[in-house]
Amino acid sequence: MTYAIELREIRKSFGPVRAVDGLSLAVPRGAVYGFLGPNGAGKTTTLRMIMDIIRPDSGEIRLFSEPSSRSVRSRVGYMPEERGLYRKMTAVAVLRYFGSLKGMTAAQLSQCVPAWLERIDLTGYANKKVEELSRGMHQKLQFAATVINDPELVILDEPFSGLDPVNQDLLREIITTMRSQGRTVLFSTHGMHEAEQLCDFIVLINQGKVVVDGTLDQIRSRHESDTISIEIEGDGAFVGTLPQVAAVRPDGRRLDVTLHDGADPQELLRILVERSRVRAFEVKHPSLHEIFVRLVGGGHVEDR
Amino acid sequence: MWKIGKVAQREFLDTVKTRTFLLSLLLIPVLIVGIILLSRKMAQSEGGPRPALRVGLTSPAGELLSRITTAFAEYNRANPQTPLDLQLLSEGEDGTSPEQRGKDHLRQGKLEACIVLEGDLEAGQGTLQFYSYKAKASQIDALWTVERLLRDAVIDRRYQVRGIDPAMLAEIRSVPIRRVELGEERGREQVQSEGQRVARMMVPFAFMYLIFIGIVGMGQHMITSIIEEKNSRIIEMLLSSISPFQLMAGKILGLAGVGLTVMALWGSAAYGTATWQGIRIDIGPDLLAYGLAYYVLGFILFSAILAGVGSICNTVKETQSLMMPITLIFVIPLIAWPQLARDPNGDLARILTYVPLTTPMLMVLRLSSGPNLWWGEIAISFVVLVAGVLASIWAAAKIFRTGILLYGKRPGPREVLRWLREK
Repeated sequence: MTYAIELREIRKSFGPVRAVDGLSLAVPRGAVYGFLGPNGAGKTTTLRMIMDIIRPDSGEIRLFSEPSSRSVRSRVGYMPEERGLYRKMTAVAVLRYFGSLKGMTAAQLSQCVPAWLERIDLTGYANKKVEELSRGMHQKLQFAATVINDPELVILDEPFSGLDPVNQDLLREIITTMRSQGRTVLFSTHGMHEAEQLCDFIVLINQGKVVVDGTLDQIRSRHESDTISIEIEGDGAFVGTLPQVAAVRPDGRRLDVTLHDGADPQELLRILVERSRVRAFEVKHPSLHEIFVRLVGGGHVEDR
Repeated sequence: MWKIGKVAQREFLDTVKTRTFLLSLLLIPVLIVGIILLSRKMAQSEGGPRPALRVGLTSPAGELLSRITTAFAEYNRANPQTPLDLQLLSEGEDGTSPEQRGKDHLRQGKLEACIVLEGDLEAGQGTLQFYSYKAKASQIDALWTVERLLRDAVIDRRYQVRGIDPAMLAEIRSVPIRRVELGEERGREQVQSEGQRVARMMVPFAFMYLIFIGIVGMGQHMITSIIEEKNSRIIEMLLSSISPFQLMAGKILGLAGVGLTVMALWGSAAYGTATWQGIRIDIGPDLLAYGLAYYVLGFILFSAILAGVGSICNTVKETQSLMMPITLIFVIPLIAWPQLARDPNGDLARILTYVPLTTPMLMVLRLSSGPNLWWGEIAISFVVLVAGVLASIWAAAKIFRTGILLYGKRPGPREVLRWLREK
């Protein structure tokens, strides 16, 4: 498999603070990769290092197997978390300027700029100055400026924060389209919902280190909950006495059953079917949210 | 390279298109021409009408007195708008002296000036005592006139006493001077007007001043531009497409372009006005070429420093207070101009030439002051300037790279030194 981004053991300290501490990551081409972590985990620092805006103290960064991001810069679009636009420029001028910095020709620009304005619903504001637009419009314009040259790799730092639900859907749809066109997308987010919906892969970092990395299914199965929710007819008291069962907690009409380590849920189902009528049997999948909270623990998370 | 061009282009247009910039660009030449024309007008007329200026005089002996009253009467006839009211002071009823009465009237506001004649003025001794009390600035001109009239009357009277013919004296004193400047070829000569002589002196200063405006004035735009990009968080968007060095280089080139435009416009406005007024200004293509080279290098040096300083600050105010000492260095040649103009190859001029910041201003001044400048000095000045440029770009690029992403507290000098040592 070829990778769009490869990070090997990168480290970065700011004075006494270790922002990134031996982080390794490989983003395959064509994947949508979610970059999760609490505030201050080192997400933005990592993304800035990928973009060569700041340099790591040690470690190796490769984009498209190239050792320097300089040469491949025009193939990458990056929308930072701290983002702004020239207030006095018009929406069209902004897109043209960023497009030309990415090496687009005037002919390409006159084709792409109106198309993108259309796509982000800003056609009517094309000749308005940036300072006259709302915050959500700014963000859409920034996004369009990031991807104006249709880069192969798109890196987005918190792209969903600050958008209303309608615009969040719009952005989600654009990212989905990009994936179908074979583009690679890496984005950081606090929204577990977006990550679950959009991502092929997810990496969770905390205090500058990778906590979990893999596909959504891999992560889920690794953190498979041992809880099974059942609903049976009649008295369910016998469930607590079964050898596989560690604990039973009533949950309304249902029972939340916790199994001993290594016990097979299928075995439990068989026993239940033998002894009673089963109305519902569900192996509970932990949500990403639960995994996140469990792994990061919330306790020692610092806000930067 | 073309990315630098794109940044420069945007920076240029962005600066030039603002209304305040266009206004200041046009206003200053208009102002300069206006002031020149106005001062000519002012010199021709004595100004508007004013109430009569009351002058008290202790009466001198007969002949001198009649000479003085005639002079005042003639003056009043010639200048009815600005009359002088001559009053003779006599002894008071209570026996106060005329002098004392005049001073009292002066204090009471009944007189604007009081003149006491002392000693035998006609014989060439004594003094004209001129008293005033809280004289207003608007009266100073008129008071000079009074002084001149009295002095001329005394001198006239002295001629008369000694039997000298004033007409003969004027003839003796008249020695016409004709100032002629030789041209390159034989037979080409040009009479120098007074304006021409003044222009001779002023051209080096004007040239130096243009360089000053071009460097320090454009520096203000540099600060504003960096702080805007920093505060509105555009910088990171930009840095994903271009390197900090490209961004900095683009900015410097764009603003240098603005500076050159301004200097060209103002310079040609001044040149045009001078030519229109019949004053010839000698600026050869070699001087312009040197000026261009020194300006561009000087601006790169200054704006690299500004870029470094601007990147660690959060507000324009903060930057300006940090830049104050550096900006002051640029003012030294302006203040020391008379000294520099008198001795353009002296010690002070040499020292300031080898301070990279003031090199462009000094070299332009010295080159336009006269041809006798050793070529070695020009070469050394370029070496010094280029070394300064390289050092400042090296340091600024390191500081810019880190500083531009820092918000909030300004890093201390120790922190900045640490950035400089980083690879």
